[in-house]
Amino acid sequence: MMSLMFAKFRTLKTHIPRWWIWYYRALLAGIILTSLAPVGPRAPLGMPQTVETVKPEVCIHTRLIDEVYEWKIQRSLQLIREMGANTIVEFFPWAYIEREKGNYDWASADMIARHARNQGIKIIARMGLVPGWARSDQEEGTTTLNYLPEDSFDDFATFVAAFAARYAGEIDQIIIWNEPNLSFEWGYRAVDPAGYARLLQAVYAPAHAANPNVLILAAPLAPTLEPQGSPNGLNDLLYLEALYQAGAADYFDVLAVHTYGFTEPPEAEPGENILNFRRAELLHDIMQRYDNPQKPISITESGWNDSPRWTKAVRPAQRIQYTINAFQYAEQNWDWLDKLCVWVFRYPAPTFSYPDYFTFVTPDFQLKPIYYAVQAYARGWETSESLWMPAPGD
Amino acid sequence: MDARPWRLAILSLICALTVWIWALGGVLFWIRWNAIERPGPPVRELFPYGEMRIGVDASNPPFAVATADDLFGFEIDLGRALAEEIGISVRFINMGYDGLYDSIRADQVDMVISTLTMDPLRTNDVRYTQPYFDAGLVLVSPSSKPIVTMSNLSNQVLAYEYGSDADSAARLWLRRIQPFETRPYELPQYALDAVRLGDADAALVDATTARLYLRDYRDWSVQMNYVTSIPYAIALRINRWNTWERVSLALQSLSDNGKLSEILKRWL
Repeated sequence: MMSLMFAKFRTLKTHIPRWWIWYYRALLAGIILTSLAPVGPRAPLGMPQTVETVKPEVCIHTRLIDEVYEWKIQRSLQLIREMGANTIVEFFPWAYIEREKGNYDWASADMIARHARNQGIKIIARMGLVPGWARSDQEEGTTTLNYLPEDSFDDFATFVAAFAARYAGEIDQIIIWNEPNLSFEWGYRAVDPAGYARLLQAVYAPAHAANPNVLILAAPLAPTLEPQGSPNGLNDLLYLEALYQAGAADYFDVLAVHTYGFTEPPEAEPGENILNFRRAELLHDIMQRYDNPQKPISITESGWNDSPRWTKAVRPAQRIQYTINAFQYAEQNWDWLDKLCVWVFRYPAPTFSYPDYFTFVTPDFQLKPIYYAVQAYARGWETSESLWMPAPGD
Repeated sequence: MDARPWRLAILSLICALTVWIWALGGVLFWIRWNAIERPGPPVRELFPYGEMRIGVDASNPPFAVATADDLFGFEIDLGRALAEEIGISVRFINMGYDGLYDSIRADQVDMVISTLTMDPLRTNDVRYTQPYFDAGLVLVSPSSKPIVTMSNLSNQVLAYEYGSDADSAARLWLRRIQPFETRPYELPQYALDAVRLGDADAALVDATTARLYLRDYRDWSVQMNYVTSIPYAIALRINRWNTWERVSLALQSLSDNGKLSEILKRWL
């Protein structure tokens, strides 16, 4: 019987061309090599977590969408939970999700939402970045991703509504655009408060129809003193006033604000010609004049920078002190404030410029001293040890 | 014995030799053709707006700083020197960091000179020149007792600024080498003071801070050794190859004739 089988095999072997045998050998070697390759790091969800915090207003802006590895997204959110922040602001670019009209790729957004939910963290979503198909002159290649022609407002609104519907109950706060008072953020065009008001109008009803509980946040404005007619942008106070005059009040539920301390401490007096942390109070004053006084404000970007070179930066030690004092000041004085989000937790890759000095964690997950300071504040821990040596010769 | 296989072999050899000679000739011709110096496109083609438009974020002393009506600094002088070398007028456009790369894409500027480090993620859109300055971390130690590398630090005392890049680097090093004593200070200048006054064996600070500090203590004999590299380079739009080549040549020329060092010494 066995000899018959061997005979059959020999017959079969003589019928297979020689190069087929080599093909199969190569295939087998490939399979063995593939099985030997190390498995990429995995990011199983694990047990659902909750954020332990005594300061629920503490929030941080993240940059997770550009992260390639799932485990890094998970690690970031774990560290944010451990820091005591229960909310993040995250960017969900239209250009990433709807690369072809009507074709949505939610994979990255789903991944972020899934891990945030597992860590017990809420998300405020920021919308922006225009896909090529929605820009009128993409062939010339001179328009930037921030260029949204008025013809595409409805397409953008459709996307926002799809997002609101998909994440209803999970992501219920959506910021429409970013800093439209800067020419660069408005696609290198003259800034246009009335145009932005029309964008809010286009988005508001479809988003609410898709998710009745959604809150639409008007875009935070860049703190700037650019005068009327400047090619770079427009003073945020002037822009907000113009936005209200264009009738935008009915088309947003929360005002998002960007307020940075730059070189001044958080308690420094605000002024129309001064950029500092309490500039948020001037924006609040304008809101009081034009809008429902009960409408809340969320600060979606704030903080100090500790670059050794930037003129608008402070020293790392000052940055820590100012950030903690800012949280305390806001808690004691701003009853209209919902969230105070600091910029920024971590970049996926370094910029090699002063923006790196806004981060709490390096790209390779080294925690900076400011992380520990905010953690101690948010979780109500006592800190007393001296952090640095006295100056030599003192 | 049949002579045909030999004839075939000789014929094949002749054919191969002919192909090889033609290929060699072609390669030599290509090399010589490319070695001929030809005038590049005229400057007005390289800079179609009739001037060199340089984007800069003038908020980084001593590289670029803005006053109410003027800009000054190392990069401003470098931009002017490049324009002079190329033979064209120059205009600086001051903007925030966030808009620098987009301004190249949107053709708002011809190039950006603004403490930009070569970023691999940007190389689809921009082309960088060779670096003009390295802003990495340096170990500063007395010449009499030099500490050149991380490994020399074991059992020594290292001073640095609390919360800075040097602080992060020192914490990483502590995991890799024999322990050394760390002395964090509130300011990087205090870390350098500590070395100068003998409280520490070396200070870890960024190169710009070190150079600025040493301008005030010219008599202090020190060694300054780079331990990380952050090279600053000029960025141009990816499809403006001729302009990039002309600017790179001009930068090389400034480096060769000593003007770049001269400008550097003026500010750092």
